[in-house]
Amino acid sequence: MIQHIDVHSVLQESSAGVYTDLVTRPTGRVVREGIQRVCAAWGGAPAVARMDFNGVGCMDYSCADEIVARLVREWPAVLLLRNLTDGHREAIQPVLAAHGLAVLVELPDGALDVLGMAAAAVELFEQLVTQCLARRLPGGTFELIAP
Amino acid sequence: MTRLVDVPTQLDDRSFDQFTASFAEAAKDGERLLFDAHAAEWASPYGLVGLLVAGAAARHRSGGEPALLTAPTNAEVTSYWVRAGFFREAAELFEIHGRVPKGKPREESDVLLPVTAVRAAEDVHEVVSKIQQRASTILASELQLDPKATMGFAMALSEACQNIVEHAGVGGWVAVQSYNWRRKLARRVVVIAVGDAGVGFRHSLEPTQAKRFGDRWGDAAALEAALIQGVSRFRDPGRGQGLAGIRRYLARWDGKIAIRSGTARIAIVPKWDDDVPLKEGLPTFPGAQVLIIIPEQGSAKR
Repeated sequence: MIQHIDVHSVLQESSAGVYTDLVTRPTGRVVREGIQRVCAAWGGAPAVARMDFNGVGCMDYSCADEIVARLVREWPAVLLLRNLTDGHREAIQPVLAAHGLAVLVELPDGALDVLGMAAAAVELFEQLVTQCLARRLPGGTFELIAP
Repeated sequence: MTRLVDVPTQLDDRSFDQFTASFAEAAKDGERLLFDAHAAEWASPYGLVGLLVAGAAARHRSGGEPALLTAPTNAEVTSYWVRAGFFREAAELFEIHGRVPKGKPREESDVLLPVTAVRAAEDVHEVVSKIQQRASTILASELQLDPKATMGFAMALSEACQNIVEHAGVGGWVAVQSYNWRRKLARRVVVIAVGDAGVGFRHSLEPTQAKRFGDRWGDAAALEAALIQGVSRFRDPGRGQGLAGIRRYLARWDGKIAIRSGTARIAIVPKWDDDVPLKEGLPTFPGAQVLIIIPEQGSAKR
C-alpha cells in the first residue's frame, strides 16, 4: 500500500503557515516529526510512502539530510518522492550519496528514477516489484503500476 | 582612556587583516575602543560585516558599554553604508559620531540583501525567502548563471547562515551584494559575506577533533577539518553537509570561499584569483567570517 504525504502541508502546519522553504535543521526536524506523526495516525510506517514536494520552495542540504536521509535510515518504508524541482534534487542527491543511500523518484509519466547511490536503489525496485506496486520495463527501467 | 582602531580607507577582505591587527592591538588592555572610519572611501559587504563583528566583540568585552565609531565624512560613502544596512545594525553596537543621513536600507540593483542580523533559524528563513525574490534576475541577467543556479545560491546562503545559528553561540550578520569587480576580474560578481563574534571554529570543533590532530590542533587545523574534511562538532553522520554543499556549488560556478576564524584563514581558490589557500598567525579576531564570491560566467567554465 502506498501512503501519500503532502510535504508542503506538513511544512505549513509545522510553521503555522509561515514558511514555504525547507531550510535549516530545526525546520527539517519538525517537518520529519510531522511526517512521522501523519504516518503514526495510519498505524505506523507504510510499505511505501509517497512524499509529494509540490509547493515546496528551496530545500537546503540540512533539510535534505534531516528529512529524506533520516527517514531512509530510520524507516522501513520505501520512500517515493514526486514533484521534485531541480533544486530539490540538487540538495537530496549528494546527501544520500554521501551515506550510500537511495530513494526512488516518481516522474510525471509514472517512470521511476533514482536519487542517491544507484546500487542502493536495486533493492528498492525489487521491493516494489515484489509488492506488485511497480513493474520492470524493457530496457531495465521501472514504472509504477499502483495508483 | 580610549584606544583607536583604524578602519582602512578601502575596507574589504584584502585589507581586513590590517583592520584586525589594529583591533587586536587596541583591544588587548580592555580600554574603550574608538573605531575611526572617518576616512573610509569604500567598504565591501565583508568589510561592513567585519566591522559589526568587531563592534559586537568590543561591546561584549566592555560589559555592554558600546564602542565609539566615527562615521565616514564622505557623504556618498555614508549614504551607501546606510543603503547597505550597516548603520541600522551598528546603532545597537556603537556610539556613532558624525553625520549619518536618515534612511532605510534598500534592496536595489547592487544590494541584494542589506546587512541583516542572523540569530535564529527564523532569520535564515527570512534571508532565503528575500534572496530568492531578489537574486534570480540578477544571477541570470547579470552573471549569466543558469536559472537553476539561483536555487543553489539560496542553498549556499542558507548553509552559510546556519553556521552562525548552530556553531557561533551568538548572533551574526549576512550581506549579499553584486558589483563590478574591476580590480580582479573585470567582471561582475555576487558576494556573500557572513560573520559572527562567536566561539569560532577551533572552539566549536575542539571536543571532537583536537585529539585527532594532536600537536597540529589550532585555528588552521579546525578550518581545514571543517572546510576540507567536512567534519562537524556533532557526531550525527549527516552533519558536515553544509560546507561540503557550498564547495560543490562553488566548484560548479567557478566561485571562491574563504573562511577566517581566530588566527587563521582558509580558502578554496579558483584559477582567476591569486589568494593563498591557508594563512596562519594572523591577528586574533573573534568568531568566524565567511566570504563567498561567484563571478559572472562569461568565459568561465563550469
